[in-house]
Amino acid sequence: MVHLHEMPEGPRNLIVDQDLPKYPETKCKSGPKLEDRRIAIVTTAGLHRRKDKHFSPGKAEYRIIPSNTDMEDLIMSHISTNFDRTGFYRDVNVVLPHDRLVELVKRGEVGQEADFHYSFMGATPPRALEPAANELVGVLKDDNVTGVIFSPV
Amino acid sequence: MCGLAHYIEDGGIPTVIISLVKKHTEVMKPPRALHVPFELGRPFGGANKPEFQRKVLLTALKLLERTDGPILENFNENVPISPDEIDAQEGWSCPVNLPNPVSTDNFTSGIMNEISLLQPWYDHSLKEMKGRKLDGLTSLNKDQIVKFLVDWTNDQNIKSRIEGESIIRALKLAADDLRHFYYQAAMGKPGIRSDLEMGDWFYGQTTAGLLFIEIRKIMMESDDEITRMAGRTNYVPNAMLKHIENK
Repeated sequence: MVHLHEMPEGPRNLIVDQDLPKYPETKCKSGPKLEDRRIAIVTTAGLHRRKDKHFSPGKAEYRIIPSNTDMEDLIMSHISTNFDRTGFYRDVNVVLPHDRLVELVKRGEVGQEADFHYSFMGATPPRALEPAANELVGVLKDDNVTGVIFSPV
Repeated sequence: MCGLAHYIEDGGIPTVIISLVKKHTEVMKPPRALHVPFELGRPFGGANKPEFQRKVLLTALKLLERTDGPILENFNENVPISPDEIDAQEGWSCPVNLPNPVSTDNFTSGIMNEISLLQPWYDHSLKEMKGRKLDGLTSLNKDQIVKFLVDWTNDQNIKSRIEGESIIRALKLAADDLRHFYYQAAMGKPGIRSDLEMGDWFYGQTTAGLLFIEIRKIMMESDDEITRMAGRTNYVPNAMLKHIENK
């Protein structure tokens, strides 16, 4: 298994002990109750539609995944070899829990699903993502999103 | 991931992240996070476990209602394993009896032979997965992919064979397509649990795995830093480096 605690110390330390930037505290924004929120999923799994351009290392870009996409047709061009892909191979919801979100909406536990979800490729330096993230804020607001869940790999 | 959460929240939209590496979350302190005890690559637990995935998702989403950040909560349940899965986990083996990996001077015939032996399992897996294909990052067919990768091991000055992609990125995309074919074929036989088992088979028992190790070795000896970095990170997972030592 690719559980961190089961990895040999050397490879584990390469992942855990990365030099990461520290951020000042970001004040949590308030919003409506969950049953009234509109939720978008943002994954850093490097997922995209088969027809979209692959992710490239070092480029802080994102791909749009419309909510009516056939999620079974998503492919992964993430560059890293150091995470389990067999879960995604069997069930895209392991990484992009789209079907689960739809179910929660149908149950009334979540208000709405956003019209669009988004994918980045992890392993991109965090500060390099700021321009794309700022652009995404506008896109999310245009879609009236009131909550974002981030799904890493 | 944590950085993105800071930027998006700062822009006015509440966020919550699934945390797989707790130390990263503790350092970067996103507004809200739910740490889960799952494998890297499986932020919502296990495949085809809708009830459990839904529980993880709902637990995380409920954190959106809190504003007392930075919040780092723990999800302490492990992925449930059914009796059928326990039975299937016993003694997974390769779906076909592949010959021992050939030497590095005869990659092409060795890999093409493996592909032909694996093709029926790939087709079966494709049917089981209702046509969902894991490969397809490139438009190259298997012959072209193998030729491209092997040609590069013989001459590092060849051109990219994927339009618009550098040679380093093209090699990676082609290699991933080849690996996805092997993995999808292997998944035709039930019971395999993880990348680790799949990796032990691919890197330890197949000629394609041997080719990946060879590509890594050549790249690591390059004078070019980007090529060396690609070699170090793109072909052999850290957990599979043991197979290099065994070669």
